[in-house]
Amino acid sequence: MASDTAAATGNATGGAHAVPMGVTILFCVILAGLIACLALEEKIHAKKSVIAGFFAVISLILGAFLLPLPFESATLSNGHSVGLPVFIPGIEWNVITIILGSSIFVDVTSKSGLFTWIAIKLTKASKGDPLILLVFYSVMTVVFSAVLNNVTAMIIVGSLSAVSLNKLGRNDKLLGFLMVEGLLTNVGGLLTLISSVPNIIVGSAAGISFVDFFVKASLYVLVATVITVLMGAKVFKIQRLRTFEEKQRAAEQVAGFDENDGIESKGFFWFGAAMLVLFICMIAGASVDGWPIADLGMGFVAMAFGIIMLIRYKATANRFYSAIDWDLLFFFVFLFVTIYMMEYAEVLTLIGKGVDPILGLGEMLGSGMMLGVAAVASSVTDNIPLAAMLAKILAKTSAEMNIAGNSDSTYWWSVIFGANLGGNLTPIGSASTLVAVTIMHKHDLKVSFIRFVKMALPFAIAQIVLAILYVLLVIPLL
Amino acid sequence: MPNVDQFESVFKGAAKQVYVHQAVRVERVTVVTDLEAGTPAADEVKARAEALAQGFSVDATWSQLSRDDYDNVGSLLKAIEAKRSDLIVTYRNLKTIDWKWHNTLGGFVDVLVQATPCPVLMLPHPQEYPDLKAAPAQTVMAMTDHMAGEDRLVNWAAAATQPGGKLFLTHVEDDATLERILEAISKISAIDTDTARQEIPNQLLREPRDYIETCRRILKESEAALDVEAIVTTGHRLSSYKRLIDEHEVDLLVMNTKDHDQLAMHGLAYPLTVEIRKTPMLLL
Repeated sequence: MASDTAAATGNATGGAHAVPMGVTILFCVILAGLIACLALEEKIHAKKSVIAGFFAVISLILGAFLLPLPFESATLSNGHSVGLPVFIPGIEWNVITIILGSSIFVDVTSKSGLFTWIAIKLTKASKGDPLILLVFYSVMTVVFSAVLNNVTAMIIVGSLSAVSLNKLGRNDKLLGFLMVEGLLTNVGGLLTLISSVPNIIVGSAAGISFVDFFVKASLYVLVATVITVLMGAKVFKIQRLRTFEEKQRAAEQVAGFDENDGIESKGFFWFGAAMLVLFICMIAGASVDGWPIADLGMGFVAMAFGIIMLIRYKATANRFYSAIDWDLLFFFVFLFVTIYMMEYAEVLTLIGKGVDPILGLGEMLGSGMMLGVAAVASSVTDNIPLAAMLAKILAKTSAEMNIAGNSDSTYWWSVIFGANLGGNLTPIGSASTLVAVTIMHKHDLKVSFIRFVKMALPFAIAQIVLAILYVLLVIPLL
Repeated sequence: MPNVDQFESVFKGAAKQVYVHQAVRVERVTVVTDLEAGTPAADEVKARAEALAQGFSVDATWSQLSRDDYDNVGSLLKAIEAKRSDLIVTYRNLKTIDWKWHNTLGGFVDVLVQATPCPVLMLPHPQEYPDLKAAPAQTVMAMTDHMAGEDRLVNWAAAATQPGGKLFLTHVEDDATLERILEAISKISAIDTDTARQEIPNQLLREPRDYIETCRRILKESEAALDVEAIVTTGHRLSSYKRLIDEHEVDLLVMNTKDHDQLAMHGLAYPLTVEIRKTPMLLL
């Protein structure tokens, strides 16, 4: 068992340990350096892309001298040779194109006023009652996280919470709202295959389709959301309004919001709404075998929809290109290159040996342990390199383990759930909780690292325990 | 990628100030003159005041302070305090002929307007304008440089307007101050000057327009069925206000005079009160 992952991962180099152990250790140090620098990103004042780029360059230079990299040209099916840089095949272009296309699509669609319209409509529907507002905003957080991305969801709901609670004179509840919303961005990130980057990476490696992912994860998301909201209301004392005067005053205050204020064009608004629905359907359809769109993949769908939405702003498209999070995109590119080098350096094989004891515990205990370890690891370091490495390791396990190529294996789901939910343990665990803390600081709610952990811990434990039970007991039945 | 500030701006922009209508009722009115009690001139002043204030003083008790009821500012303030009035009616330059020179409120009124917590209805001087008739206000103008959210101002102005009359809600943004801010922005490389020049005035004028729209809707549906018109513009406020008052033949001007945390009048209220002499003014 211990040799299963090692032997399987060793295929990259064409045999059992073709790379000297000293070289592997050297690359281990490089990987550790990358992970440490990413964890200390704020302290060293360096952007993710620069950190990852630096380590990618180091890895490539050392790899060129020390590793058996495939510098030969690639031969296409028509017999032509193509000279590709050696690192190109290491980049998960599917992930890159999904993120790039989705970013453009979401950014342009948000200009239609669709998301702010939905957000304000829900605010008015709550009639200013704090508890109902919490429920509505929580549901909105989960849905936006699933459909847009965690960070955008937190930005929209967090900023609206600040404005609406200020208007209602309930600023004392803002901390509670932001905490619950921050935690729920990571729960909502479990809803669909494209809701978070670890889902895309691990889901693609596991061969989990969009529909299958939704079917298996949605029940957990529903239950975890309810539990989080109930706990949040109790802990942060968010209650219903009692007197008629309070209710009337609150209703008057939220009635002043104009949901049509951010809508430049009704036509574009409805176009954006229709395209959003179509986008979700096409993304789902891109995992259905047997039609050409599935062959083109989700990345193509995301890019296509991004371009279609840009037609409205065809003369000023550069504005949206400037707004793309290039730091994030280049981070992924360089990260994939680095991990590709780690694969050749047999670092992943070595890590696989470390993971073997967990895999050796059997499906039940092993999956549960894997979820816990992934959660703890992703709470202190970036969950994307973690997800990327674990995905590669699991993909290269031996056939008898029945993990690689088996989308029903609970190990895949353990990594997915652990990588997402671990972000709730600390304020640096995920980008969206970091945004929540940023909004808190903006509104003079001083939340230190320790204070955040103290507040979030009960929620995170509840979510992780529920996830372990869910992965082990419910997912195998779905 | 959108940022927090972008969405916060959108939501703040969507959070409109909504007018809340509240009836204004005054129970005790004191008319302060420098005339002898019981004379036709004093009665004429009271008649003018009653006509203008009829919208909010239906069951009010009227009392008078005449020439002999006070000697100096101190005794006037004491007498007014004893009356516990909800509204004071008076005119400029009490007990002096300084009304001829048009550049002072006079010692009594200068202190009165700033020291009393209740509104003051400032009438034209009876000697300066002896031929003015006592008549209710058909056309009322409420004036400020920050109309959005000024429910109290609008409530008083609406109460003072005759049913079926016209109420102008006027917001004049000082263009000199605005230009100074835009000039400063033009020297900050991080802020796009063209965007600032277009968007800042738009936003400053949009808020009062949206607020006045809610006033219009609510007042039209009220018992008084007022015709509310918005005037939202930039300009040099004193000259703009004077021009607007003349242009629309305003019967009564309503404005705020001071903040909660100060005694002195607003920077603009004092010169307006001094210079606009023929139009009655309700100073809140």
